[in-house]
Amino acid sequence: MMRLVQRNGWVAGLLVLLIILLIATKIIQPDFGASGVESLGRASVPFAFATAAMAIVVIAGGIDLSIAAMMAVCSVTAARLMVGAGDGETVLIVILVLALGALMGAINGAMVVLTRVPDIVVTLAMLFVWEGTALLILNTPSGAATQWLRDLILGSLSIPGLPERATFIPKSLVFVVICLIPFWFIMHRTKLGLSIYAVGGDPVAAFRSGVPIGRTRIIAYSLAGVLAGLGGLSLTMSTGIGEPIPGPYLLASVSAVVLGGVALSGGKGGIIGPIVAVFILRLVRMDLTLMSVDPNVTTIVEGTIMVVVVMLGGMLAMKGRRP
Amino acid sequence: MKSWYQGVAAAALLSGLGTAAAAEGYTIGISNTVQGNGWREEMVCAMKAEALASGLVDSLNIAHRNTDAAGQLEDIRNLIQAGVDAIVVNPANADGINAAIKEATDAGIVVVAVDQAVTEPSAYILSNNQEEYAYVGAKWLFETMGGTGAVVYMRGAAGAGADNDRDVGFKRALAEYPNITVAQEVFTGWQQDQGKQQILDILASGIPIQGVWTSGIDNVIVDAFVESEAPLVPIVGADNAGFVGQLASVEGLVGAAVTNPGSVGGAGVALALQILQGQMPQAQTVLVTPALWANNSDEGKALIAAGQNPNLDPEWPVSVSIPGWTTYTMDQIIACKGPGE
Amino acid sequence: MVHTQTDLPILDAQGIAKRFGAVTALNDASLTVAKGQVVALMGANGAGKSTLVKILTGALRPDGGHLKINGTDRSFSSPGAAREAGLVPVYQEPSLIRDLDVAQNLRLGDTPVEPFLHWVAALGITDLDLHEMAGDLPLATLRILDLARALASSPDVLLLDEMTAALPSDLVEKVLNVVREQADAGRSVIYISHRFTEIAQLCDRATVLRDGATVGDLPIEPGVEERVVELMLGAKLTPARIATHRAHATATGPARLGVRNLAAGSRLTDVSFELHGGEVLGVVALEGQGQDELFDVLGGFRRARGGTVTVDGAPVTFRHPADAIAAGHSLVPGNRADALLMSRSVRENIAIPRLARICNWGSISMRSEAETVTAAIERLQIDTRAQGEVRRLSGGNQQKVTIARWVASGVGTLLLFDPSRGIDVRTKRQIYQLVREMAEQGAAILFYTSELAEIPQACDRVAVIFNGKLVEIMDAADADEPRLMRAAYGLTSKVPA
Repeated sequence: MMRLVQRNGWVAGLLVLLIILLIATKIIQPDFGASGVESLGRASVPFAFATAAMAIVVIAGGIDLSIAAMMAVCSVTAARLMVGAGDGETVLIVILVLALGALMGAINGAMVVLTRVPDIVVTLAMLFVWEGTALLILNTPSGAATQWLRDLILGSLSIPGLPERATFIPKSLVFVVICLIPFWFIMHRTKLGLSIYAVGGDPVAAFRSGVPIGRTRIIAYSLAGVLAGLGGLSLTMSTGIGEPIPGPYLLASVSAVVLGGVALSGGKGGIIGPIVAVFILRLVRMDLTLMSVDPNVTTIVEGTIMVVVVMLGGMLAMKGRRP
Repeated sequence: MKSWYQGVAAAALLSGLGTAAAAEGYTIGISNTVQGNGWREEMVCAMKAEALASGLVDSLNIAHRNTDAAGQLEDIRNLIQAGVDAIVVNPANADGINAAIKEATDAGIVVVAVDQAVTEPSAYILSNNQEEYAYVGAKWLFETMGGTGAVVYMRGAAGAGADNDRDVGFKRALAEYPNITVAQEVFTGWQQDQGKQQILDILASGIPIQGVWTSGIDNVIVDAFVESEAPLVPIVGADNAGFVGQLASVEGLVGAAVTNPGSVGGAGVALALQILQGQMPQAQTVLVTPALWANNSDEGKALIAAGQNPNLDPEWPVSVSIPGWTTYTMDQIIACKGPGE
Repeated sequence: MVHTQTDLPILDAQGIAKRFGAVTALNDASLTVAKGQVVALMGANGAGKSTLVKILTGALRPDGGHLKINGTDRSFSSPGAAREAGLVPVYQEPSLIRDLDVAQNLRLGDTPVEPFLHWVAALGITDLDLHEMAGDLPLATLRILDLARALASSPDVLLLDEMTAALPSDLVEKVLNVVREQADAGRSVIYISHRFTEIAQLCDRATVLRDGATVGDLPIEPGVEERVVELMLGAKLTPARIATHRAHATATGPARLGVRNLAAGSRLTDVSFELHGGEVLGVVALEGQGQDELFDVLGGFRRARGGTVTVDGAPVTFRHPADAIAAGHSLVPGNRADALLMSRSVRENIAIPRLARICNWGSISMRSEAETVTAAIERLQIDTRAQGEVRRLSGGNQQKVTIARWVASGVGTLLLFDPSRGIDVRTKRQIYQLVREMAEQGAAILFYTSELAEIPQACDRVAVIFNGKLVEIMDAADADEPRLMRAAYGLTSKVPA
């Protein structure tokens, strides 16, 4: 039990911070309740997927600057195909879009592995490639999203006998959790996950332990691609259309990954921490809007919070290590 | 103990009364998704100035950052949470934020979309006519070129709604002049430095060009011609202060500014306040028609001379007010202060 | 020594060649290992041992030659393939992933847990927690875990590269016993080490590499050492013992370095000694007796918990390594990677302390710097073929660079922490010689080593630390291995005067 707390100290700390922020929100806006949590949950969905994708690549010792652009490709593909699509067809479209994400991720990973050019350079180049691809698929924001898909993240979970709003659990949150469980399982309960950590932490030792380095990295990028696919789908689900210009998900995902306790040098951290960090960053944004802080100051506040939290966390971790 | 309760009750009552007394003062929410662009900054300042000048607004709640439609959904929902009376929004695109607008209007909040239209029927729209904007400018340009020659077509940001509307207008004009060809089509991304680099590259390449149509990145284009000592060709831009100044001062420059007032934001606030006070507009959509100020006609010269204002940022449109809508003074919009600031 | 005679060698590598661009690493390396045999693979730095090991274990593919396992031709495309063929290596650096716990590391390599735990216990680690992060374990434990992991997969051929280099003497003994037992039970072992005592104790044969080719294969018997060294170096060797005039602590006045009742961390409790200019004081201790803390305090990496340190008679407190350097202390740490800028050039690495001292924000006098650095490189005979990046030098040459930087800049007090770990005989001798020369020029040198045989060659006196306390100081001339060993294990009643 001690070990569980010790090892997940960072996540626990983030959860405490999240609760403090929720309480602060309630103080700032006494009406804050189920609908507020619901809107927070919905706003967090694309960020959560982008962040989980980035977390996996960073744990594998890389970085993917093309995540937001891949999300845009998936979003416009889904929006374009779903115009007039039936409920059954939509299932096929979802599968196709996720496969497309995996393919794009695999291309990123294969380029990194085969060319031996640093990840940051390859994925920066691919950012432009995917951006152009998205514009080729849809040159203006348009398209459609099937209603049942949109309903997946709309409203709160209903429990029989209770009014919908009384349950407090947004469907969007449930959607994120269900989608991320397989990835959490892969990262923490399979040999593939161990290999991803090993490749990111110490590639030489991993190679000597018999881990196929190149293949593992390509798979890590593909997993990130699938998550970018989910992120793109969630964009289409929330807006009802596809937007070819990537949103602000690249820097936001790097921020959440760092705040979530993943080391940018690779091999350390998990998925849960960054996801909690996503909610924290969204909630900070909401509080700043609620307090009608000067919009030009809000980004300064967001940046400052990140530096302070990461610094404090680092100091606490140092202290904890010394007996 | 009892007296303590009474005290609290009295305080609560008083504060309640206070709230009731201030009910006249509205809270207006603003959502904008492009930060650091002169036009959008003027729009936000016009919103602040109009809110202040109206005397009806207690506070503005501004969500102003660089984001996409999904981010704007988040901002609008946050404004709903903040309990605003009306939301004036410059939409990221026409369809993407309908869900949140519907939620807002269902909650009794007045929503006015400015600059660009939205397809959600419960929202009011007060917008510059972007298709017409491109059409009148391009038509003047092709006419000035004598109906023949090659133009550089400098668009805005690929995939943006306003850029697509303008493209429709430009293509409509192009179809009317079969001897006009497009020498180069580039996206400036509405970035000054990017646009300048692009025109410098085109000038350096020596492609013969007889005209430039640019989507609001204009004064740097004239700068590039002057700096590289290239012969000037007719240039169409927007009514940004820098470009309007050049139209009056640069020797040999033949050009036209098409108005695209950022003050449409102030008009949006005015419209929202009118609706809150029970004055419904005649139509759900109000379009502001662009005007053309060309420096090769006396009428245009007069407008350009009247539009000169050295106090404005060169990226700001000089048409800082919209008659019949905005009520603030020039000083108020330049001060860029909202109620309570 | 048990010689198991079989007709068919279990591993037979003949004429292995490997080139990296223009550099030939191996041209004709051969190695034969029979079932149940322990074969020492020997060679000076740069002879091609590492390359041959990488080829045998599937980390590199050879350009020529052939490799037979149990009589059939094989070529391994990956470490995994070599492992499946029964060839399991334990590398010089720990192979556990630091950011995973021990159990996860086992799963990663498909190591069966039960046999692993059996071997861990047999090798003398009793308090292992499988859920401890590998990165939190001490180096010696990591090395043992690597060996246990290799043994748990029941290899046919076990390849041990400098297995004992980072181990304290008690664990070395256990490792040697286990390896010998395994050989007697029919497993084959390729043993790479620079320690003749261990090789004599453990191995049946020695295969010697020089300049990428196998130059000898001889049975281990008394007196074989000189022959092996001859083969390794390709020439007759001057006598091992370095002739020195021991300027024996004749200095008067206050000592260069005085340490009184020093305590630091949880392990160092009470150490006192004096070190004069011109003297080399050896330090001997088993792993984890407080020697790390002693060097950390003297190098300014850690604050003392109690006691005093004096430099030239004046008490000092180091808050930062810069303070220690300013007081003339130069630390050569045990881990070379801690001291070097791995991706910078040899010259830059040597010049760094000079830059820090000479030019506070000023310009660098390129010529005077270049002259001093060149002199240091020549004096230490650093192999400068790969001087653009220190990373690409062999371990021995890297260690020379860490010492060369202090030779170039001049030192008052040199703190050497196990400088000869994993370094070949010739380089070791060069380092001893250098240590003596620096002492003769007036430097005071504190020299910790994990190899007891080094003490008489380089030191004037030797201090033995056990359980955080200094238990004995003796003249190096009297310090034979049995005596040092007894003291290091705390088997002495003598208290330093």
